[in-house]
Amino acid sequence: METLAFYSYKGGVGRSLLLANAARFLASLGKGVVALDLDFEAPGLHYKLGHAAFRESRFEGGAVPYLVATAREATSPPPLEEHMIEVPVPPGSGGWLRLMPAGPAPDKAYWAALKQLGEKIRFDDPSGQGLMPLLDLHARIRDELKPDYLLIDARTGVTELGGLATTILADTVVCMFVANQESLDGTLMVAEALKAAPRLKRQGPIQVIPVLTRTTSERPTEGPFAEGVKRLLELATRAPSRSKKKDRDLFELPHDEVHGAADRIAAGERTASVVSPLYKSHLELFQELFPSSVRPAAIGLSNPLQAE
Amino acid sequence: MSTDLLNTLVTSAIWRAEQLDEQSISSALAWAEVSSLEEKLAKAIPGSQPEGRIARRGAVRAALKAGDIERARALVERYVAEKDATRALKTALRQLLDDDARSLAERFRHAANAVQDARELARWLQEGGAFGLAA
Repeated sequence: METLAFYSYKGGVGRSLLLANAARFLASLGKGVVALDLDFEAPGLHYKLGHAAFRESRFEGGAVPYLVATAREATSPPPLEEHMIEVPVPPGSGGWLRLMPAGPAPDKAYWAALKQLGEKIRFDDPSGQGLMPLLDLHARIRDELKPDYLLIDARTGVTELGGLATTILADTVVCMFVANQESLDGTLMVAEALKAAPRLKRQGPIQVIPVLTRTTSERPTEGPFAEGVKRLLELATRAPSRSKKKDRDLFELPHDEVHGAADRIAAGERTASVVSPLYKSHLELFQELFPSSVRPAAIGLSNPLQAE
Repeated sequence: MSTDLLNTLVTSAIWRAEQLDEQSISSALAWAEVSSLEEKLAKAIPGSQPEGRIARRGAVRAALKAGDIERARALVERYVAEKDATRALKTALRQLLDDDARSLAERFRHAANAVQDARELARWLQEGGAFGLAA
């Protein structure tokens, strides 16, 4: 299982949309995928994945209720299935996609559960009682569901859980930012922290992939912003085997009024790629993130990369 | 404070902490109080006496129940270094720490091999906050 965390220092960069597209895209290519929403204070991945099932089943599970139950009854943690939603994937793809939302947000019950979680679990508890439920959830997804990929929606900004999702749980962190100095400086600071953070004994070094989003024009080639991007790319060490792009290139996702503004999930739609520059860019990014998985022709998608 | 009074206080503090546990109410502070009282008893009674050994084990056990692993470790270190600490007491005290780690591993069996990692990371988080940025 490879774990990717999608992180942004500031909100509104299209993080959940990219994650949702990646999840559906991978599942369409026959991969087993779990999407985990750890953005507990502003959860929304379930609006992009499996929302119909979420509403119809009056779903009450999710990561927050699961962690609360695990902290209280840790000798018999609840079945994972009770806290996950099966997200439909194109028939015949051979893949599967399960979503563990943060919980039944925005229902009142969710915020009550989140309050309980804060009372029961302190991640910095030196006895390890606070971190173990989170590490166990990660390991349990790996052991019981055996997905090819775990995609984590990490909390925006600088928070304990956002830090843990990126520094400890992830193999790769996709750091998304927009073209302004505030967003870049914050991202740079976090990327430096990620590279310096401790890892679990079994883990290798963390991969950081910076992605500039909502671009509308050429980015500056001089000045503080350009310098910042250069430093960010220096931190973004890539495994040689996974990158087909030239080293030190920055991924850019264009602003897309139609798909970006509507947060439309495009992956798996036959026509989406030809009308959406954003989706085309998503596909290019997926080639970098999942080089062994990307075979758009195999699922009947029009391939914008070949169309040009 | 006399050892009789300390014993009475310890007994009643343990009772309160257990009541909280039974009602699933956070009992960390109550166990911390137990540990503190047991520590005072341990100061008053040498480890060569059975009551002294009981107090030392009690101080460590209660610190663990309070979730204060660092205090538990520090107490074990101190008691093990005492001149009159018996071999059996040293073993028993170290066993308490091992049992605590094993119990955590059993509760979270999928991450059983990460208990030590979790404790080191928690300390890193405690010292440096999110992403370690405040260190």
